[in-house]
Amino acid sequence: MSCCKVPVLIEAQVEMVSANELENKSLFRQEEDAAQTKEASLMEQGSLSTSFPQHTPKAPKNSVLNSIKIVIFCNKLNLLLPFGPLAILVHYMIDSKGWVFLLTLVGITPLAERLGYATEQLACYTGPTVGGLLNATFGNVTELIISIFALKNGMIRVVQLTLLGSILSNMLLVLGCAFFCGGLVFYQKDQVFDKGIATVNSGLLLMAVMGILFPAVLHYTHSEVHAGSSELALSRFSSCIMLIAYAAYLFFQLKSQSNSYSPLDEESNQNEETSAEDEDPEISKWEAIIWLSILTAWVSLLSGYLVDAIEGASVSWNIPIAFISTILLPIVGNAAEHAGAIMFAMKDKLDLSLGVAIGSSIQISMFAVPFCVVIGWMMGQQMDLNFQLFETAMLFITVIVVAFFLQEGSSNYFKGLMLILCYLIVAASFFVHEDPHQDGI
Amino acid sequence: MFSNFFKSMGWCKVPGFMQAHVELGFVNEVELKCLLEQETYSPQTKAASLMEQGALRERRAKAPRNSVVQSFKIVILSNKLNLLLFFGPLAILVHYVTDNKGWFFLLSLVGITPLAERLGYATEQLACYTGSTVGGLLNATFGNVIELIISIIALKNGMIRVVQLTLLGSILSNMLLVLGCAFFCGGLVFSRKDQVFDKGNAVVSSGMLLMAVMGLLFPTVLHYTHSEVHAGSSELALSRFISCIMLVTYAAYLFFQLKSQPSFYTEETKQNKEMSEDDEDPEISKWEAIIWLSILTAWVSILSGYLVDAIEGASVSWKIPISFISVILLPIVENAAEHAGAIMFAMKDKLDLSLGVAIGSSIQISMFAVPFCVMIGWMMGVQMDLNFQLFETATLFTTVIVVAFFLQEGTSNYFKGLMLILCYLVVAASFFVHEDPHQGWC
Repeated sequence: MSCCKVPVLIEAQVEMVSANELENKSLFRQEEDAAQTKEASLMEQGSLSTSFPQHTPKAPKNSVLNSIKIVIFCNKLNLLLPFGPLAILVHYMIDSKGWVFLLTLVGITPLAERLGYATEQLACYTGPTVGGLLNATFGNVTELIISIFALKNGMIRVVQLTLLGSILSNMLLVLGCAFFCGGLVFYQKDQVFDKGIATVNSGLLLMAVMGILFPAVLHYTHSEVHAGSSELALSRFSSCIMLIAYAAYLFFQLKSQSNSYSPLDEESNQNEETSAEDEDPEISKWEAIIWLSILTAWVSLLSGYLVDAIEGASVSWNIPIAFISTILLPIVGNAAEHAGAIMFAMKDKLDLSLGVAIGSSIQISMFAVPFCVVIGWMMGQQMDLNFQLFETAMLFITVIVVAFFLQEGSSNYFKGLMLILCYLIVAASFFVHEDPHQDGI
Repeated sequence: MFSNFFKSMGWCKVPGFMQAHVELGFVNEVELKCLLEQETYSPQTKAASLMEQGALRERRAKAPRNSVVQSFKIVILSNKLNLLLFFGPLAILVHYVTDNKGWFFLLSLVGITPLAERLGYATEQLACYTGSTVGGLLNATFGNVIELIISIIALKNGMIRVVQLTLLGSILSNMLLVLGCAFFCGGLVFSRKDQVFDKGNAVVSSGMLLMAVMGLLFPTVLHYTHSEVHAGSSELALSRFISCIMLVTYAAYLFFQLKSQPSFYTEETKQNKEMSEDDEDPEISKWEAIIWLSILTAWVSILSGYLVDAIEGASVSWKIPISFISVILLPIVENAAEHAGAIMFAMKDKLDLSLGVAIGSSIQISMFAVPFCVMIGWMMGVQMDLNFQLFETATLFTTVIVVAFFLQEGTSNYFKGLMLILCYLVVAASFFVHEDPHQGWC
């Protein structure tokens, strides 16, 4: 998990730090080491028995007010929180869907980040396995919730487009910005990252593309055995397989982290004494769980309004729904991850950036998408993996481009620039794209 | 000549300079060997000195003052290949005397071949006088000027499809045929070991090619899934936007190449500074170079005009699809000189230079010439877009993937070369039996 979603741990701490500019530099470094230490200690179950008892998190007993202060007020980003209720107000008062959509978007942004923080706090208390699983599941919970809402309303196309957009934005925009900014800071040399992990990730992405491609091709060559239902059955079966693959991937990551993190041992030994305090969570276990529930409920509420407003916003702004779902929503949804990835790249920790960006793509493509298909199955919605030809072709070529870029194990600002420009091409294509048939949603 | 682009870049396109000298050397077989050996150092030196602007000042080119006759002798008569120059006027004669489009097309083709090489020579001579940056830019633009000229003339005649097919054919022939022959011949000469080339550059190049494919793929898919917002005009608007992005990327690529080169050539510079001072002096003065450049360009334009007119007629009289003529025959002829250069470099174990010729040329066409033509079309009011139709786009996509895979490893041998050549045969055969599904393409 450290590969894919350590970011959440560091991210949350990093953004907490940004609130206090004075302590910024020193805390930041400490935070990072702490995260690596924590992770290293989480991963190596062997050393856990010796080191863990020392680090049993002192469960702080916070009063309600204290808790609110820590969770809500410590982060500048949380200034955006009031936009949520404002959006709901606007929804009932005016009939301008465009504004509702915009305000809801802005209101959800800080929630994604706070959710990450709460998850990471909770992970302090649970073991490494459960912690990793928590991160893996809650990493993109905002997208998941929006998708499930849309699914409940029968807006299957919006679900597909939102998830697709999230994958594309993570692979091209977030990764490209990270490479670009990192390359600008370190322009005299090429930055390197772990090629082995990158290759495994590319393989998983390609497998996801395969899972999405086959139902689409089956549909478009009109070669199904039972027209209409074959494709759905194939999609559901593929989804189960993809979920199994994702579970195996998590297992593989958890098991192999213990081997690949030995180099960090020196750092962790150095820093164990210095940052013993940083490992203690800031809120107690039950507080974390409660906050997690509150934030999730709040996100669900806002998502409900968001999903309702998509159509109206598309009409009032004169932009195709495809563009809103695929480009606008994910950019906002991934804002916090985006910032995190760029910061890691600028500190020459490209593996972490890669973990944020590519890990998130894998999580969406191999977990969120099949999960939605299965949820749809349970709800009786006919969500399938046929993302229509245009979107599937787009995903295919994007994954191939990114896989090639990752093959070499090094990056520079030009590669980052290429990825960003590719994203502009993708965005432009969606701007002039609408579904060929009327039942687009 | 595209080769000249990288000459100043110092990376993998030193060839141009060397090429011109080598072909000059053909004239005298006795001098061939020692000239070739001497040449090995000078381009690298020149490239290195061009790169290091400090050293450039020492080597301010002695501008030779040639009389008109001498200039003529140097540029025109000192190259055996220039015997083919006569075919040009001959072709025009044939055009007016007989009505045989087939012969006329053939003679024009033959007449253009030496011009490509001379243009490269003139560009490289001019680059001696300008700084390294401008020299690099000159090479970058004039590298494939023949394809550009043919394309612009065809565009003016509204033959959009011919433009697309010619440029596509040039990309394909550079990636498969030129590279394949280079790998193959190099592999035969060095049959005991695998030749190596710089993997880092190869990966960046593959990335650029993939991005070009992406740029071409999206408008095509948009068109074929009938999913445009405003049917007909969306695709054109998207193509124009993508073309701007591709031009920006190409500019960034040039910038990136220029910035990251100096580190590579420091050792060789010091070794070779003293040894090859004389070879760096250009042979014709700056103004001569510019004048010759203009003359040759004008001559190419004239011949191209006739060539483009004759394509249709040749296709009818030889009973070959226009796709085949545009995609396979034209580019092979246009790239003949680069082809020879790439093979020679491979046989000297300078695979990076071969790669520079081949892949660099492909990148120049796909990321510069194609979007540039779209822009020119926009200005002319011609509706050229990036929708190369499904068959051609699929061919390009598959080819780029295959070549990118071949380049990943950083080594080559004769078998890889053979595979690339055979792939090109497959592509050629496909275009031999392919014609556009509807009539209104020209």
